[in-house]
Amino acid sequence: MAQTQTWTDTGIAELILLLREEAATGMESIVALEMATPCTAVVGSTFADPADTAIHHTDSGLLLAAIDTVGGATVNTAGDTITFDHIFTATGTKNVAGIHVCNNSDDVSFIECCFNAVLAMENTDTLTIDGQSTINQA
Amino acid sequence: MPEATIVRQVMKTIVTGEHREGVCENCKTLLIKEFYMDGERKRVRLVCPKCGGMGRLIAKTYSVQPPTPPRCLRVKCLFQFFKDTLFCALLSGYHSKRVAYAEQNRHKEILERYRTGEPSPETMWQAIHANIKLKCPICRKYNKDPLLFRR
Repeated sequence: MAQTQTWTDTGIAELILLLREEAATGMESIVALEMATPCTAVVGSTFADPADTAIHHTDSGLLLAAIDTVGGATVNTAGDTITFDHIFTATGTKNVAGIHVCNNSDDVSFIECCFNAVLAMENTDTLTIDGQSTINQA
Repeated sequence: MPEATIVRQVMKTIVTGEHREGVCENCKTLLIKEFYMDGERKRVRLVCPKCGGMGRLIAKTYSVQPPTPPRCLRVKCLFQFFKDTLFCALLSGYHSKRVAYAEQNRHKEILERYRTGEPSPETMWQAIHANIKLKCPICRKYNKDPLLFRR
């Protein structure tokens, strides 16, 4: 299975709400996905219902947390890219199949990413996430 | 060009995950989080407070991007799309098997390319070779290409 990553439908809807200055919040949180086999990211995934049978980790250092850094960058046109970095430190033995990047209210997932293969985390292992998303007009 | 279609890749997302041990490779000290500036981008990394070292890399995932849809209905465009799709499938298969292999052998000595994912195959021919090599235990052990008998 390829690594797949996509903006979700609910993530785009949240982005539109932000542009309309309605009740919405920006990219703020991140959580690791738990599944024994690799998952496939789909646009229809939501915060409550991630891809396939994946679920959010709720402990062991892989649970929902504030993203370490969120910034802007330029790829094609000035400021067209959002970048984010985060480090998870596992406090137990857990499988990580992917991640969800969520809003500040922790009710919408903007981006779903499913890794190439399941990462078998052990106690004190670290997982460094390096992400960027570009809005491309051409 | 009446048959031309405009293709928009509106949101392109690239994510990589780097799985490392949480203790320093050199002195086995527990690593600490450090924020730093990479140009104008504020970033974060884990470093050893004693020697500045890092944790041993176990596996790094690779973001495979889907092929660009064909821009026209000519045979040339469709054939290019077919080639891109085939390459994408081979590349995806290689990186999936590579990451799984690196995870399964986290405590063993394996070729560094299977942990980092670099160099990644850039052509279909390279992807075919890389897939065959990854499946062949003798080729992996002696770091030899099974078709060319060289590295």
